[in-house]
Amino acid sequence: MTNAVVPRGVAGRATWQVRAMRWFDNSRLFPVTLLLPVLIFFVVWNLIPLLWMVGLSFFNYSLITGVPEKFIGFGNYLDILSNVSAWQAFSKTFAWVFSTVAIETVLGVLLGFLFWGSARLPGRRLALTLFFTPMIITPVAAGTFWRLIYEPTFGVPNYFIHQLFGVKIDFLGSHAWAWGAVTLVDVWMWTPFMTLITLAALGSVPPAELEAAEIDRLPWFKRLWYVVLPHGKFILMLGILLRTIDSFKTMDLIYLMTKGGPGNTTELIAITLWRKAFEGFTMGWSSSLAVLLLLTAIAFTSIYLYVLNLSTRR
Amino acid sequence: MRRGGCAQTIYHAALWLVAIIFFAPVLWVALAAIKTKEDLLAVPPKWIFAPTIANIVDMVSRPNFWPYLRNSFIIATSAVVIAIVVSFLAAYCFSRFKPRGTNFLMFLLLSMRMVPAAAVVVPVYMMYVAFGWKDTWPGMILFYAMFSIPFSVWILKGFVDGVSPRYDETGLINGGSRLHVLFRVILPQVQPGLIAAFIFNLVFVWNEFLFNYFIGGRTTTMIPVSLATDMYAQAGIDWTFVAALSTVYMLPPMAVVFFFQRYLLIGMTFGTVRGEV
Repeated sequence: MTNAVVPRGVAGRATWQVRAMRWFDNSRLFPVTLLLPVLIFFVVWNLIPLLWMVGLSFFNYSLITGVPEKFIGFGNYLDILSNVSAWQAFSKTFAWVFSTVAIETVLGVLLGFLFWGSARLPGRRLALTLFFTPMIITPVAAGTFWRLIYEPTFGVPNYFIHQLFGVKIDFLGSHAWAWGAVTLVDVWMWTPFMTLITLAALGSVPPAELEAAEIDRLPWFKRLWYVVLPHGKFILMLGILLRTIDSFKTMDLIYLMTKGGPGNTTELIAITLWRKAFEGFTMGWSSSLAVLLLLTAIAFTSIYLYVLNLSTRR
Repeated sequence: MRRGGCAQTIYHAALWLVAIIFFAPVLWVALAAIKTKEDLLAVPPKWIFAPTIANIVDMVSRPNFWPYLRNSFIIATSAVVIAIVVSFLAAYCFSRFKPRGTNFLMFLLLSMRMVPAAAVVVPVYMMYVAFGWKDTWPGMILFYAMFSIPFSVWILKGFVDGVSPRYDETGLINGGSRLHVLFRVILPQVQPGLIAAFIFNLVFVWNEFLFNYFIGGRTTTMIPVSLATDMYAQAGIDWTFVAALSTVYMLPPMAVVFFFQRYLLIGMTFGTVRGEV
């Protein structure tokens, strides 16, 4: 009978076990243990590559020339800043982010108002599933099958264009159309996201205030300005910022459709980086570009968290 | 908003029309998946045709299909499970003990996830080659775990913050250990957060292409990479194969939108925006 020998504590465990657990609980070891796994992950998969990247960015290092890497200080950065095609890619990215986010916000907010009060729509869940599908499907699949749709010989849009105007347009292959065609796909994918955000923003407006506005017979623009906007603006702003960050990241969707081409018509900065790193194998140069993109992302995240703080502090 | 019967019918029809317009490209591809090659390439486009399952059969009988699909399942699921466990512990620590630098660490985690993937892939690729982790299961799974951790921590910290510390105190005073409090008291109350974090990180890993392309290889290839690299047949792109594979691979994310619609907002905004849709 070991039970008689070993004293029993809480929940039938041996006393020494209970003591050990109590000590563990009360010591500072407990929070450290909780945090340790994330810290390990962070150091190995974020910090080490990050330091590697920053280190590489100061070297002239290429994978194919076989020349031993050479420390060149800020040479890569100066090269990027004086490189015309890098600036072109930056300005394209800026135009891309601005135009896609603007179109998606306007369209998404309008559709959000349309879907506001759709609670009694028959089959609402299915309708919303169909509507929200674009933003959650595999970007590679989306990029690939839009090529099928844009296909000049048997694509559906080209059939109608041929019927109407008697010409066929190679949307993704022509300088004039590629940019618009790619933008359209991004708008298709992400407008539902802005609608989702708008619905959340509209949902945060207290119904009592809307009823009061209705009783007061406020005109619709005053209702928007004085009732809906004060409650919904933070959520909407968070949505716009998130979309900005994501749009800045766009890469595989465009790469799958045009590879940045024709020429460099649709070459955003992320694609420039990809080309330099994995087609040109200039690891040092692309690392410095990556550091610049990282700094941009940190700036975006700071703005996002600043707005988030504003909204929670209210 | 009160509307008459007729106006309401028009309103509902308009809503359905919007949904169908956004779904049309996907539908077109889903239809292409069950067309013969001749029907797919036909001009004018064919809306009515005799459906065939030949494309599906062809896809399923390719030697790489099952292994790659299995890889997608195993890598996505195990990475996200690891990420959720690790993130839950960290979220609890951040929320209750508030160690110094909590905000900064949360900020760093999020920033890393906001960097364009093409920027991170260079150093990660070089690290994986140098350490010999390229194309290994642990390498791929643990990378995707880190990929999922930032959003999971953010989602779960929001939910743990929402549980009053009084629950912890009550549990401890009544003789429960900290682990008991952690797993029996707090865990059940953040269930929606766990579901949202799990489901949406699963979708993000499921859809990921770039990292799998670079730090994966023959043994750890997932379907998106296979879609991008295997789509070329002798004469250009093998469209029926692309259509069939895209359609099959899109079904799970679509099911997620249908069954977990309540969590969509939390999942897409990593828990910073809450509300009903």
